[in-house]
Amino acid sequence: MSNHVIEWLNAYFDGELQGYRLHQVEAHLAGCEACRAELESLGKLSGLLHEVPLPDFPSPERFASQINLLLPQKRTPPPRRSLFEVGWWMIPVGIMAVWVFVSTALLLSNVVSVADSFGLLGTTTSSWISSPAETADLTAVLGGFGVLGGDSLQWAERTESLTRSMVPQFVLQVSVAVLYLAWFATWLARHTRQPREGLIEG
Amino acid sequence: MVTVQAVSEAKLIISSQSGDRSAFSELVRLHTRGVFNVVYRMCGDALIAEDATQETFIRAWQNLSSYRPQTSLRNWLYRIAFNAGMDMLRKEKRILPTDIEDLQLKDDQPSPESLASQNERTALVQKAILSLPDASRAVLVLKEYEGMSYREIAEALDIPLGTVMSRLNYARKLLKEKLEPKLFVSMEVEHV
Repeated sequence: MSNHVIEWLNAYFDGELQGYRLHQVEAHLAGCEACRAELESLGKLSGLLHEVPLPDFPSPERFASQINLLLPQKRTPPPRRSLFEVGWWMIPVGIMAVWVFVSTALLLSNVVSVADSFGLLGTTTSSWISSPAETADLTAVLGGFGVLGGDSLQWAERTESLTRSMVPQFVLQVSVAVLYLAWFATWLARHTRQPREGLIEG
Repeated sequence: MVTVQAVSEAKLIISSQSGDRSAFSELVRLHTRGVFNVVYRMCGDALIAEDATQETFIRAWQNLSSYRPQTSLRNWLYRIAFNAGMDMLRKEKRILPTDIEDLQLKDDQPSPESLASQNERTALVQKAILSLPDASRAVLVLKEYEGMSYREIAEALDIPLGTVMSRLNYARKLLKEKLEPKLFVSMEVEHV
């Protein structure tokens, strides 16, 4: 029985199969009397169902006139946007606001850092902004133990400093993008709830 | 492909949404038969079906602002119609046949000749349909009597395509179990 196509016969009978599945069912039917009988019984059942007549009903014009008289004078006003709906639309606005804020803050921070590296800021201001000892902790430790020295120490300090400034920026940007995309995907799912599948393929 | 009918229906919907009652009447005229067909097949009583059809269009008028043009108006109306039909049945406290015993004809052992009678046969088929679970009956009605595709049924009932298939398989299986021993035999006798 496992090779029979009973589970697909209804869809085949209704013309809903295509592609591989359609060929599979057709090929099976050609050689299987039991499935052909099952298919025939679906046809008979459909014929029986259509023997049940529809009772008399007022003409559509007359019925439409009756309905017109029954309609309330004023339609129910559209429901006001619920708090949830407002909150829902505030999510992307909030995400974008956070993104703009973070980007601006990081940009300003970079500008200040560059200005500081060129010595454009006073020593007091410069000391507020960064402390070399804090930006290259690991390298300093390695230097202290004599693992690094000379050019390699300088190169390692620059790399660590760059990484420390870039990684938080990258993480923040990616987090904002992921949050926004998650919201967009949910919005898309809400607006395309009707099934997109077409005919059933194998 | 967008047909002329679809375009004019879209215009009627927009007018109706802004309160144009004559535009809505035109929509009623276009969909009355389909809605009545669906609710009658669901509840099996012409009077209840007529009331449910009225109720469907009144609810549609009241909720037209929530209708989204991405979905078919017919499918949207059918969903309202099912709910209206079921509400009406509950209100009328109609008891639908749920057991095979309810499907017996007047004779305990009906002969093929008596079953060949059109009226008795259609009554038996009608009862068999009404004995199906609501969810399966809804899918069967839309497929058999409205000729809707699985995709359209899924949209109208807001269920996945796979559920449409399984409910339809189940409905037909039940119907065959209930009707096959009696009616298929009598059909063959009739055609000899």
